[in-house]
Amino acid sequence: MRLATIARDDFTNARRSSIVLAVIGVFTVLVAMIFASEYGIYDEPYRTLFDVSAFVSFVFPLFLAPLAYLSIAGDRMDGTIKYVMGLPNSRAEYFFGKFVSRLSVATAAVVLGMFVSFVIAFATYVQAPSVERFAVFTGVTLAYTVSFVSIFVAISAAASSRSRAMFGALGAYFLFVVFWFGFFPVINLGTILDTVESLLGVTISDNTRSYVQLLSPATAYLQSTEPVYAGVFDQYQSFQMNFQPGSDKLHDQTWFAVLVMLAWSAVSLAVGYLSFRRSELG
Amino acid sequence: MAAIRTDDLTKRFGDVVAVDGLDLTVEEGEVFGFLGPNGAGKSTTINVLLGFIEPSSGGAEVLGADVTTHSRAVRERIGLLPEGYGLYENLTGREHLVSAIETKEADDDPDELLDRVGLDPEDARRAAGGYSKGMQQRLGLAIALVGEPDLLVLDEPSSGLDPKGIKLLRNIVREEADRGATVFFSSHILDQVEKVCDRVGIMAEGELVALDTLDELRTEMGVGGVVEATVDAVPDLEPVRAVDGVRDVTATEDVVTVTCGDPAAKMPALRRIDDAATVEDIGIETTSLESLFEEYTNGEHEAVAAQPEKAAPVTGGED
Repeated sequence: MRLATIARDDFTNARRSSIVLAVIGVFTVLVAMIFASEYGIYDEPYRTLFDVSAFVSFVFPLFLAPLAYLSIAGDRMDGTIKYVMGLPNSRAEYFFGKFVSRLSVATAAVVLGMFVSFVIAFATYVQAPSVERFAVFTGVTLAYTVSFVSIFVAISAAASSRSRAMFGALGAYFLFVVFWFGFFPVINLGTILDTVESLLGVTISDNTRSYVQLLSPATAYLQSTEPVYAGVFDQYQSFQMNFQPGSDKLHDQTWFAVLVMLAWSAVSLAVGYLSFRRSELG
Repeated sequence: MAAIRTDDLTKRFGDVVAVDGLDLTVEEGEVFGFLGPNGAGKSTTINVLLGFIEPSSGGAEVLGADVTTHSRAVRERIGLLPEGYGLYENLTGREHLVSAIETKEADDDPDELLDRVGLDPEDARRAAGGYSKGMQQRLGLAIALVGEPDLLVLDEPSSGLDPKGIKLLRNIVREEADRGATVFFSSHILDQVEKVCDRVGIMAEGELVALDTLDELRTEMGVGGVVEATVDAVPDLEPVRAVDGVRDVTATEDVVTVTCGDPAAKMPALRRIDDAATVEDIGIETTSLESLFEEYTNGEHEAVAAQPEKAAPVTGGED
């Protein structure tokens, strides 16, 4: 009950914030624009979902960061935490109440974005969108959302100041997205693995690389969208390049990718909570 | 059972000792003034009592419960107005109060509480982000009163309040004390504490430097007040100095200043002056808590006693 009160207050506070509404609004508009701009290019909305998944995996964490990175650090800075923790709330109730609230806000963004996209797809695409594919897509996108909201809330709980929380959130983004996907040509996951190979004089097999590659929530998210394209892999080359539908390798399994995302959530929340439980307030 | 008991409570932040071996007992039902300048360790002590921070050594109990192991049980029974607390900027004051009532599983009527602390019903339904400090303190006081707590912990409650608000605060403290609640009232602004507190403790640099009733403290300090007599001509001051209980007599061109160790010495001293000269006007200052407080925290007892005009003006009387 007390957790629910904390979550409700935090959520209401966010719901009435123009910044939060703007973040949700811009995300929705951008996803809708992807759909609107591609209806003349592709007949099938699921092909557009593929482009949306790339957008979500690369950019969505940057929308989640402002929604979550100050969840606890901000309360510490402006003293709101003294109001909440002066009442008989436990630290666990506070921490998880904040998490539930911020996750709800992020979920609203995902659901709204997908709903608007569905409506646009329904109205404009040659082939009607499949409710099932959209539902699966929304589901795995929410798993991705859970992972990054957990990471950001945990960073917020462990950070002792606003600026540390911000650097932590940016650091997490660069590590899990920019570095892991290899957007930097020189320093990225691939080059680091190459360095490890030459330093230790070992060979890292492609199979091992694939596992390591999947260990970021962002890469795991892309892998987890595979069921969205069930039965239509032969339709587009980009599907065939990115998915191995018949593979029995663990790193090609949707459930494993979802597990990776949820594991990031669980580990972050555990670390964040344990750090917060011991930390000094006030 | 004591409302608050600390046992050799020490809190260090790195090299800084914020609270140094504090032994303090606040009895149930008393109004206790916890005084000291900023940085004396008051808020650190309160933060330990709330479980916000852990003591480096020693311990503390509130209403019989250990503050480090039973923090929630402690906070269920206390009402808190924290110093420098913040509010959700997009929630109304009333919504904050309603959540506090829910969290404490109390059955207070929020509007009654708001009325009691004098927060305008219209203001109470506005977003708290636009509140003045005074409005926020009133709301904080309402939140502290939720659930008829056994102990009220008010950390600098008068900051940001106008004189009307300060009077209201005093009345509420008295009402709560009459109800049987213990009030722990921390402040660096002293004349308000003076009027409501049964006992005061004065903190300086992490240590409790004085602990007693105000009357006892005054007596202990031997400061009975200062008489200033404006005279037509300054008489021989020796007979005035000879009055029992007079500590010091000085004179300027037409003002004789008598500093008394005993309050009862003021009148006899004044009579001696009146015998030898024509007294045109008199002024009397009793020692304010502030001057006492300065003496304790600065260790400048003599200096303050010798320069009464530098002491804070008397703030007694009508309020």
